[in-house]
Amino acid sequence: MNEPIVKLDEVTKTYPQGNQTIAAVAGLSLQIEPGEFTALCGPSGSGKTTTLNLIGALDVPTSGTIVVEGHDISHMSRAELATVRRDRIGFVFQAYNLIPVLTAYENAEFVLALKKVPADERRRRVIDMLDAVGLAGLEDRRPDELSGGQQQRVAIARAIVGKPAIVLADEPTANVDSENAEALLDIMQDLNETHGVTFLFSTHDERVMRRAKRIVHLRDGALDHEENRA
Amino acid sequence: MLLRMAWRNLWRSKRRTLITLGSVAFGVWLAVTFIGVGENSYSGMLETGARLGAGHVTIQPAGYQDTPGLDHSLSDASTIRESLAKDPTVERAVARINGQAMFATARRSLGGALFAIDPRHEGAEDNVLLDAIVEGAVFEAPTAKQIVIGRGMAKKLGVGLKKRVVYTLVDEEGELVSDVARVVGIFETGVVEVDSGVALVPIDTARKLLSYGPEEATMVAVFLADHREAAEARDRFLGTYDGEGREILTWRQTQPELAGIIAMDRTMNYVFQILIGLLIGAGVFNTLLMSVLERRREFGVMMAIGTRPRELFELVVAESVLVGIAGLIVGAIATVPWYWFMRTKGIDISQVQGMQTSVNGVLVDPVMRLLLYPSSMVAILCGVLVLTVLAGLYPAWQAGRVPPVESLKV
Repeated sequence: MNEPIVKLDEVTKTYPQGNQTIAAVAGLSLQIEPGEFTALCGPSGSGKTTTLNLIGALDVPTSGTIVVEGHDISHMSRAELATVRRDRIGFVFQAYNLIPVLTAYENAEFVLALKKVPADERRRRVIDMLDAVGLAGLEDRRPDELSGGQQQRVAIARAIVGKPAIVLADEPTANVDSENAEALLDIMQDLNETHGVTFLFSTHDERVMRRAKRIVHLRDGALDHEENRA
Repeated sequence: MLLRMAWRNLWRSKRRTLITLGSVAFGVWLAVTFIGVGENSYSGMLETGARLGAGHVTIQPAGYQDTPGLDHSLSDASTIRESLAKDPTVERAVARINGQAMFATARRSLGGALFAIDPRHEGAEDNVLLDAIVEGAVFEAPTAKQIVIGRGMAKKLGVGLKKRVVYTLVDEEGELVSDVARVVGIFETGVVEVDSGVALVPIDTARKLLSYGPEEATMVAVFLADHREAAEARDRFLGTYDGEGREILTWRQTQPELAGIIAMDRTMNYVFQILIGLLIGAGVFNTLLMSVLERRREFGVMMAIGTRPRELFELVVAESVLVGIAGLIVGAIATVPWYWFMRTKGIDISQVQGMQTSVNGVLVDPVMRLLLYPSSMVAILCGVLVLTVLAGLYPAWQAGRVPPVESLKV
């Protein structure tokens, strides 16, 4: 059996609010195996985004441990967390979040440049990836010259081109129309099935949940129940 | 890639960046103008002072500086002069006898300074008084019984060209000695103290009057290509020309009042430069900090996809370096024509009310010009660049400290 890519063990994340402490995540234990296409679901405030942030090394837990590809990231420094994000995590955000001064090509290339990938290899991988997400011919366009759906495709290419252990997608279809949402999900599903890319979604979107092989339902920061459709 | 991003980031707010570049360029212009005016003024005063007095470096009898008098002299001044004239670092060297004298005609008399010079070795380029002759000419031979006096002295004594003046000195024995000379030239520097209190006579005539030897003089004045090399030249001459009752002094030591005035003025200039620098720095700081604060979310995204805090710091520092370089280029484009005009033509400010014509008895050029030494240019370039980088450090540090999870909520 494969080692899990992500392993959360009794993870808690609390925030001070006035004189009180609010638990966004409360004793959550969870494992994500390689090749999963999993959705985190739950009502607003259930801890979906906080969980994604913790797994993505954007935040550190108040207690408990988070292991990504065998590395405990619970107590790492800011620089070490940045290295984990660079080498092991891919992000797709609801608001695309492309770097506005870079072209579609450069946005995808940026991650590889951070990883010091040689220029020739960078070029080959970026061109292949933009082609895979259906953006061939649009490489030189800046984000403000692309539609929302096209921007999200660039974001997917950027998330995957660095060959991360897992792609964390926070409401990736929330800002696009139905047609584009389906197209984006087609791309991500294809990448999952043909290239084995592991996806973990935070979503309310029925279309995402329909395609997910596993759905993790959260409530009040803790695991409510799971559905396994594999 | 960071450099490319930094350059593009600068142009996200074109107007703000253009204003910042304009302020950096204005700072370059101001720095060039103020430093240039100062250096030109100091250089002019120094050169005039050197040509009026003791050169950039002076070899004179030990103790002459404290108790100047004709009883202090160098017996081998001509040999020293000839030796120094062969030194490749020395432009010119002249031997002079400087002393106090009484000047008299049948009706009037007045006290002043007498400079005895050798017309074979000393010309207008070494002596500001010869350069300022407005009537007649310098004496023809070092043995001539002739004298060149200032316009003010001529008026006070009531003499003109071809008239005779008696001058009286105190020789080495403390005896009064006098000679008669015919006025062959009248100079006018515009400095009242000089025009009414200084006269020139041939050196051999003075030697004979003072019973000096054929090589004797009170000083050897050395002129260098650049007055800033005076201290180095003095150090180089030590061991060769000092000793045997001689001392070697730079213009700072022979003209301490002038050196003091220049030092004070230069300090004021530096203070002004620092204030200008702070204003420019504040402008750059404001631009970069605004730019960083506006991009909090973007920095959060960059950190989320793996950018390390140090790389964000480098990105913003690169932006500040580019602001500095671009500002310098704009500044150079704006300043070079101005510098060329002010170096070659200048602005005549002689009509300005209250304009001083002299400082400490040294003539000041009434035409405002600029002079920048290469070292000053390098200092301005480096200063502006360092300033912009320093102004960018705090915003850069702020960028590197952005917590990604907080920034993504912005």
